[in-house]
Amino acid sequence: MMRRAQPWLGTLVDITIGDALDDIALMSCFNAAFARIAKVHRLMSFHDLNSDVSRINRASVGDTINIDPLTDEVIRTALAVAEASGGIFDINCAAKLIEWGYLPRLEEVLLECPSGRRCAVILESDYKAIKTEPACIDLGGIAKGYAVDLAIEELKQLGVQSACVNAGGDLRVIGDIAYSITIRHAERPTEAAGRIQIQDEALATSAGYFSRKSIDGREVSPLVNGKTGAPVTSTFSASVSASTCMVADALTKIVSATGDVNHPALTQFDATAFIT
Amino acid sequence: MKSIYVTSLVVMTTAGTSAFAMQYLTVAEAQRVMFPDATAFKDVNLHLSDDQMHQVEKLSGLPGRSANWRVFSAFREDTMLGYVVLDDVIGKFELISYAVAINPDASIKQVEILTYRESHGFEVRNAAWRKQFSGKTIQSGLAVGEGIANISGATLSCTHVTDGVRRIAAIAQVALKK
Repeated sequence: MMRRAQPWLGTLVDITIGDALDDIALMSCFNAAFARIAKVHRLMSFHDLNSDVSRINRASVGDTINIDPLTDEVIRTALAVAEASGGIFDINCAAKLIEWGYLPRLEEVLLECPSGRRCAVILESDYKAIKTEPACIDLGGIAKGYAVDLAIEELKQLGVQSACVNAGGDLRVIGDIAYSITIRHAERPTEAAGRIQIQDEALATSAGYFSRKSIDGREVSPLVNGKTGAPVTSTFSASVSASTCMVADALTKIVSATGDVNHPALTQFDATAFIT
Repeated sequence: MKSIYVTSLVVMTTAGTSAFAMQYLTVAEAQRVMFPDATAFKDVNLHLSDDQMHQVEKLSGLPGRSANWRVFSAFREDTMLGYVVLDDVIGKFELISYAVAINPDASIKQVEILTYRESHGFEVRNAAWRKQFSGKTIQSGLAVGEGIANISGATLSCTHVTDGVRRIAAIAQVALKK
């Protein structure tokens, strides 16, 4: 078993390959998987001015923006999760995250947060996005999960039988071997709350212990409840397991905001949740 | 079947004994991973002058932090392929050692994490605790590949690593560019 880690998407991405491969084969598998993660980073970074996300954010209402098929897929999934959650999950809340200091204040970026669940873009066919609202988007709540899925798909295509890809707590496992996963303790995050075995599925966890902070006496977090516009400051940790990490990642935000491990959105995406 | 997960959570009783740590690569392995075609690595201990430190700070927008850097140049026979720069960063809970591969034109080729060690904040901030892992990474008391199970939890920001890489990119521009 071999593990490597690189910094991408604002966190550490850790890849484990369980197959007994020679050094050269292992290296090319790792490199190919990290290259997929790097591609998601380049396309969906809020910070990088050349990313699809930045080009959407800097566009004027009415502009058409050509986006990569990968970005298109993530935005479409984000919109489906938004719909299923009555707007709790919302990629259009970047203005709040800028206000609370979680995202940088970039020039040329519009700082309105739309109300009434209007998305900043409409997706046409042929990977074209039309800017429809003067808002900016952030895919931070879903892109890590998607990057994990792409890396896993790449490893599968290369014939890898057993692997785990973990992007800062959003992870997915393939193969017949179960991987042991430690869940962080919600109040003492450098300790384990418990361990679970995962096989051939994705698990994502969301919690505020590393990121909650106080601004002018008000507690904020990098997670916005899109329905209310308020920061989610729950003190528990919400984990979701699903068949893809993209869906698991997005759904953790709904469980964090509602505390509801039986939320209908989970059923709709065939996912399960637990809180610790 | 999936609902089993909730009940199968085993509450650990060893509260207070956090040891989330992982050694991914040794320095030698990182060198081979980042420059697979290299036939030799030469130790070039880089010392930045005051003027170079100033330029690094200006380019990166970060404190220069240290004048001395552990750097290796990678060679294939007589051809210089690039450099490997070692660094460690300290976060609120974590100590991370990593290596940055630099192309001869000073662009960043690759970043690999060597070791990751996490503990309670008070330990990470304690100089004596950190010292046992310094000497640039290798004396972490862990064999390669040995370490923690995968962790699922909130994203631990790697701002310190990102800043560290930015600083090394500036050092490469100022002192390593051919």
